[in-house]
Amino acid sequence: MSKHYDIAILGGGPGGYVAAIRAAQLGFKTAVVEKDNLGGICLNWGCIPTKSLLKNAEVYDLVSNHAGDYGLSVEGVSFDFNKIIKRSRSVSAKIVKGVEYLIKKNKVDHIKGFGKIKSKSELEILDSEGNSVDSITADHIIISTGARPKMLPTIPVDRKHIITSTEAMSLEKQPKELIVIGAGAIGVEFAYFYSVLGTKVTIIEMLDSILPIEDNEVSQTLEKNFKKRGIEIYTSAKVEKAEIENDIVKVTIDINGEKKILHADIVLNAIGVTGNIENIGLEELGVETYKNHIVVNKDTYRTNIENVYAIGDVIGAPWLAHVASAEAIHCVEKIKGHNPAVIDYSSIPGCTYCQPQVASIGMTEEKAKADGYELKIGKFPFSASGKSTAMGEREGFVKLIFDAKYGELLGAHIIGAEATELIAEVGLAKSLEATFESIVKTIHAHPTLSEAVMEAAANAYGEAIHI
Amino acid sequence: MKVNVLMPKMGESITEGTLIKWHKKKGDRVEKDEIIFEISTDKVDTEIPCPEAGILSDIKVFENETVVVDTVVAVVDTDGQLEPESKETKQPVVLEEEKVSSTTQVGGELIDVPMPKMGESVMEGTITKWHKKVGDKISRDEIIFEISTDKVDTEVPSPTAGILAEILFKENETVAVETIVARISTSGGIVKQKKLDVDTEKTELENGSVIENKIIEKTNTQIKKSNKFYSPLVMNIAQKENVAFDELEQIAGTGVEGRVTKNDILKYIADRKTGRPETKQKISEPSISSSAESKIETAHFVEGEGIKLIPMDNIRKRIMYHMVNSRDTSVHVTAVMEVDMSRVHNYVKSNKAKYLKEENVKLTYMPFITYACIKALKEYPYLNASIDGNNIVLKQYINLGFAVAVEPNGLIVPNIKHADEKNIRGLTKAIGELSFKSRNKGLLPDDIMNGTFTITNYGVFGSLFGTPIINQPEVGILGVGTVTKKPVVVESNGSDSIAIKPMMYLSLSHDHRLVDGMLGGKFLRSIKETLENFDTSIV
Repeated sequence: MSKHYDIAILGGGPGGYVAAIRAAQLGFKTAVVEKDNLGGICLNWGCIPTKSLLKNAEVYDLVSNHAGDYGLSVEGVSFDFNKIIKRSRSVSAKIVKGVEYLIKKNKVDHIKGFGKIKSKSELEILDSEGNSVDSITADHIIISTGARPKMLPTIPVDRKHIITSTEAMSLEKQPKELIVIGAGAIGVEFAYFYSVLGTKVTIIEMLDSILPIEDNEVSQTLEKNFKKRGIEIYTSAKVEKAEIENDIVKVTIDINGEKKILHADIVLNAIGVTGNIENIGLEELGVETYKNHIVVNKDTYRTNIENVYAIGDVIGAPWLAHVASAEAIHCVEKIKGHNPAVIDYSSIPGCTYCQPQVASIGMTEEKAKADGYELKIGKFPFSASGKSTAMGEREGFVKLIFDAKYGELLGAHIIGAEATELIAEVGLAKSLEATFESIVKTIHAHPTLSEAVMEAAANAYGEAIHI
Repeated sequence: MKVNVLMPKMGESITEGTLIKWHKKKGDRVEKDEIIFEISTDKVDTEIPCPEAGILSDIKVFENETVVVDTVVAVVDTDGQLEPESKETKQPVVLEEEKVSSTTQVGGELIDVPMPKMGESVMEGTITKWHKKVGDKISRDEIIFEISTDKVDTEVPSPTAGILAEILFKENETVAVETIVARISTSGGIVKQKKLDVDTEKTELENGSVIENKIIEKTNTQIKKSNKFYSPLVMNIAQKENVAFDELEQIAGTGVEGRVTKNDILKYIADRKTGRPETKQKISEPSISSSAESKIETAHFVEGEGIKLIPMDNIRKRIMYHMVNSRDTSVHVTAVMEVDMSRVHNYVKSNKAKYLKEENVKLTYMPFITYACIKALKEYPYLNASIDGNNIVLKQYINLGFAVAVEPNGLIVPNIKHADEKNIRGLTKAIGELSFKSRNKGLLPDDIMNGTFTITNYGVFGSLFGTPIINQPEVGILGVGTVTKKPVVVESNGSDSIAIKPMMYLSLSHDHRLVDGMLGGKFLRSIKETLENFDTSIV
């Protein structure tokens, strides 16, 4: 007879494994079905290994290009590309081990295999060949199968010449020329990484700026920085086709009707992701999907089928690990009968880890204006910050957007040193519904980068001290 | 010698007392065993005699303040020496300034008198009466004005001695707490105590700190009254949109730990603006969750073996909120009377067919009970009333509501507008129409709004009598039991005999805040008499 669980989770990424641990904490007998390592894309082929690569790039950039700024004489700086990749893989492995330990510690069963939903209470386990090897039953099933890079017929990925992020972080040889299609966080991070290592990088973005979901001022600042770095950028550019000829990829783009042909040995397809909704039994059970994601109630994360839930990338945007984890916890607590507050999708931080770093939460200035808010905007440049000057990283700014009527913090946009860490304060402020005053009256240590947040808030009301 | 007068220990279980009245003023001569103040505790009220003869040299606890037993309430100086006058004018908050002024300035200074903070939830107060005019001489702790807030009415004592220099708000003006409402010039009083010796200054400081501590303690307990967290943004919105703290406390929070979020308050304001009747229900929503949560640990059920979870529909939710809100608002008392329905019964029996034919309505007891009830309401208008803060609202019109059960499990209370202008026929028709509309979703918001009294007829289900819940903001509800034939003792010509009569219980739940037992009884008796002496001529 098949083993029975209170909750069975399909997929062991930052949605699935977090759901499993939370479920176990709440006393549920829990299984997580995952064919690969635990940790999903995030730990294995996403967030974590790329942060390792980016740190390498950052250090290399600092030592080779800026040592002199600090009065250091360094000569003969070089790197071993394979060692950089190796470090990234070992960082990933270390973190994955940690998750395996947590799963074990919480007495969650990790069932290795490919899970397929047979009914609203039964999962079939398949091996890598697709043979049925086992089945389990469960009172509740949580689907957290995540997402994978989106493919287009015009950009035929062969994983050698035209690659996805997975290959981009495990190449054997550094590309000479790299074309990155799509200037979202993934595209921009790889562009930065390879550019620092000396690859000639070209970015192609369909929308009118790189990091198009960020505040326009931020995007412009980053674009300027990237261009200075020697990265070629084509915005409002549509890729018509990418062809592989003799180990060279030829990319034809269309910029407002004007055609251009670019060449590179490697092309990275970073146009976005698509939910993993195929071959897991959704059609057979009648789970409602829309385009490429599962439709759920965003309070219970239940699908249209009783006892079947879905969380994370497989339910669509914003495709962020921290959102998947938050949804996981919320979903499991709801199953337990708790009444957690509904997740506020307007207060989700987004981070891009190139240098300068980009981090934001809430509305952009453009969006807030379009929504009809009267705004009070405060900006504080890091060039006016003592700490960032001492650090030698004076680029960028903190920009806070307040609603003039009630003083609500609508959005925060940071570009510059440690932006991805600085955003946490603003996130807390926003989720606690802090107003300009709450931020300004919070004493920030001096000298720190976070003072810039306080000053930006003060600046929105004309009270900044240092500008 | 100085003798401390303490808050007496009135019994083992009594830990604190409230000083309700001072019989003596500071500086008064007091004899041994003369009553100097009165206290009230949760067990008894009593007068406190002075332990020694002397001069009442200091008062440390003011009227309406509550302090723990053994707290020093007053100091009597047995040497008959009045403490230096400075003492009298000392107020902890202005102590520093006074010291400065006494040495540098001879003209005295202006002391602000703010609208006092009467509790965490009280945001404003109305000045109901000025006891002093500009130019009047005032001693410390003398009442200078009276205020009224949504919680309490109180008299405000002067923080200092001096002359009332300015009155900034007139009577009946409402101002936020801590707004300056008057200014007192301390010149004259204070200036004389220019040469304070070091010792007096010290005692004053001690006194000052004692009083300050007490104030702090008090504020803390007041904060405890509301342990909800409101975000700065919610507070901003509340202030800008004039949402009183009490209202805020009533908004159902959907945030973390039930916090009121921006969206919750904006929704509340939007509902308030459109005047939708749901607003009221929303207000009462939290009182359920908060009281339920604080009193009992809410059980969480998970659907599964033997348990099926059905989300409440809107009407069920509204009924739930209404009922809990009413229970939490009114002090329900239920009185029951038995009514001989012979006359009505006979009339209904013999005219049923006629009504059906002529009016196309089914004649029931209801119009007669309704009629009798309206008559009683006219006689006793306090049952046709509401309570608004400390006001009694007497309504000059009678919109009589009656509860209609709506299948499968709903309940709605439409009301007959100006029911007092209708006769039995009119009432019969109105009841028929509104019942039909209720059961067929045909009611308009107006049909259920502005009711003044309600009748609920659970007798149709066979119940003898019940204890109905008042339909807010009314103050009474009449429950109608089933009419059953019963043997009853009848007295005629001085001899008792047993007869079979159609009898009915009427129960009246009334809000004891406004309607006492006597009034409730009289009201019920009036209905009983009308029904028992029913005269066909009124039809």
